[in-house]
Amino acid sequence: MEIALIGNPNTGKTTLFNSLTNNYATTGNWTGVTVAQKIGKLKHATAKVIDLPGVYSLTPLTKDEEVVTLYLLDHQPDLILNVTNASQLKRNLLLTLEVREFGQPMILNLNMIDDLKRQGQAYDFTTLSHLLGCPVMATNARNQDGVKELDHALQNEPAPLAPLDLDYPPMVKQAIRQATEALVEKYELPASTARWLTIQYMNQNKVVRRAVAFRNLQPLLKMRAYYDAQHFEEKIFNTRLDFIETILASAKKNLGDQKPKEFSNKVDKIITNPILGLPIFALIFLLIFELSFDWIGTPLSDALDSFISGPVSTTVSHWLIVAGALPPLRSLVVNGIIAGVGGVLVFVPQIVVLFACISILEDSGYMARAALVTDRIMQTIGLNGKSFIPLIIGFGCNVTGIMAARTIEQPKERLVTTLISPFMSCSARLPIYSLVVAAFFPKHQALVVLSIYFLGIVVALAVAKGYQLFFHTTDSSVFIVELPEYHLPRFDVIWQGTWDKSKGFIRKAGTVIFAGSVLIWLMSSFGVSGFVTDPTKSFAANLGQGLAPILAPLGITHWQVISALFTGVLAKEVITSSMMVMFHATNQAALIGALGTYMTPVAAYALLAFILLYSPCFATLGTIKQETGSTKWMLWSLALSLMIAYVVAAVIYLGGTLIFG
Amino acid sequence: MKKATSFTLHHFDKVNKETFTRLHNLGLYDGETIRLIQRYPFHGPVIIENNHQRIALRYQVFATLTGE
Repeated sequence: MEIALIGNPNTGKTTLFNSLTNNYATTGNWTGVTVAQKIGKLKHATAKVIDLPGVYSLTPLTKDEEVVTLYLLDHQPDLILNVTNASQLKRNLLLTLEVREFGQPMILNLNMIDDLKRQGQAYDFTTLSHLLGCPVMATNARNQDGVKELDHALQNEPAPLAPLDLDYPPMVKQAIRQATEALVEKYELPASTARWLTIQYMNQNKVVRRAVAFRNLQPLLKMRAYYDAQHFEEKIFNTRLDFIETILASAKKNLGDQKPKEFSNKVDKIITNPILGLPIFALIFLLIFELSFDWIGTPLSDALDSFISGPVSTTVSHWLIVAGALPPLRSLVVNGIIAGVGGVLVFVPQIVVLFACISILEDSGYMARAALVTDRIMQTIGLNGKSFIPLIIGFGCNVTGIMAARTIEQPKERLVTTLISPFMSCSARLPIYSLVVAAFFPKHQALVVLSIYFLGIVVALAVAKGYQLFFHTTDSSVFIVELPEYHLPRFDVIWQGTWDKSKGFIRKAGTVIFAGSVLIWLMSSFGVSGFVTDPTKSFAANLGQGLAPILAPLGITHWQVISALFTGVLAKEVITSSMMVMFHATNQAALIGALGTYMTPVAAYALLAFILLYSPCFATLGTIKQETGSTKWMLWSLALSLMIAYVVAAVIYLGGTLIFG
Repeated sequence: MKKATSFTLHHFDKVNKETFTRLHNLGLYDGETIRLIQRYPFHGPVIIENNHQRIALRYQVFATLTGE
């Protein structure tokens, strides 16, 4: 059995999905956290549950909203669970009516029922159920109220329901009937599907119109001009709205005592204050960086490093000697795999703290406010505040950041956001930053890393401005953002969100970083004459020395660093593991010591800027191609990154050398 | 004189199609009364309240719909 979760954004749909299923998905209090459908299994049954992105209607404006309509065009789920925000039922029911017209069995879930009570209102479920022709169940998913009952209901075989038949104006009704009959007769479509398709087509649903054109469904195609000229879309909308008014008038009960949303309103007075909003935004990010790099993340990382480079490395080395392993094999395991993979794994605590902070922002409802307070700045570069969210998510991983850009309505704004996302400093770049700042700026680690993050933002905004001038983007931007109520973040939601984001990093340690470490070990241990004990005669040295003249103006002159940068295109984490291997460092302290003797602090800062900007990783390049549908944009992104990185790093190095000597 | 905080929305035909659709999605229709909660400097976005929900939108859209 397949159950589809469909609902508006900010209805607690994904929290409910997490409660109902064994598998979990990332939850968030921000439109677009569910950027693609997620699949789980019902806890007490074998049914498959699909969590679809939040949509306001089946007529999509954004790419992630298209997912739901595409799903309904290709699937007939056995049951649809329509999750609504009970306190915003009027607008939520617009989607409910479209889903009911689809005709598959449906349960209407009134979630966040406590918010409705606080408004001093309630609904008569019998009336709602009678008028909508489907079962109605209430929940408050955040504190599990009603979830057990809903879970039981989902385990039963769903009863078939007749599609909702709204009383559209006679001319619309007649047109629906004629088109439906023709589709059933000529194309053998089921009557309910043909009817739903016709109504969606009349309603100017662009995904449905694309599908109808692709399948060449003539009864609809030849009537398109008539439907549009007669403003069928408006007539359908008005009929739905009138029906909703009737439902609410019949089912709504006033309980009297209304309690305003005091907590959210009080917090918003400060957080979204016109003067304080932006400084608070900057402070929140400073706090996150301090937590990740100074207060919690770094001490834990240091402890883990001592453990891996000490007992783990020594014990493995000892057992390899006892087992009689040859020196090259011992070198591969200890200097290649343990140093490389371990060198990256020690940064897990810092990354987990950073992801936990981002998850707290998502779950609390702050992300929507961040979009609001940054909108005016973003407007000056032809984007809007909504673009800021994918960029912030890009701090975790550029791939998920680019995916989150799907929530942007305007195609050019979406493209620009996608193209500037790789300049946001993702967590994979953290390990190498941490090493470099520990080596050269030990007293100001958090500040220096923060300055690199800001450099990324500044470059991203400057490039966006360039695109604005190039594309001549006008005032067609859409910035309408719902400000959800604040929630006290729930531990399990934060934990799941953090794990969901961090597991990719840990998984990479076992795959691409492992492979990268072995590759780098091979490159630095073998040369034209075979196995070499002198690394300056290795392939890695040849490659690094070959590229050295090109990178010399940036202060990057050592072959180990250059070879490591080269491998960083594979995945940014590999830069650190490559350096560990090539400098033959057994722990962080040894590498920090080695780096310190090779370059000046100015060159080190130029290196940080170059690493930030020089090239998106393979996964990000692949995502750019997928989301823009163009190899040219992907190659352009790579070429532009390289050019910008080179110029910025050269300016920093030359300027810095001039000032500091 | 204190500035008005309640406005009735009109002129939906003057905003672009996407904005029109999104406003409808969020329950903002012709004739609906909203409350202005917050303005931002330099004609930045505004926060409005309608049916117990707060929504942020661009000043230009707000000005068009309210005739301000």
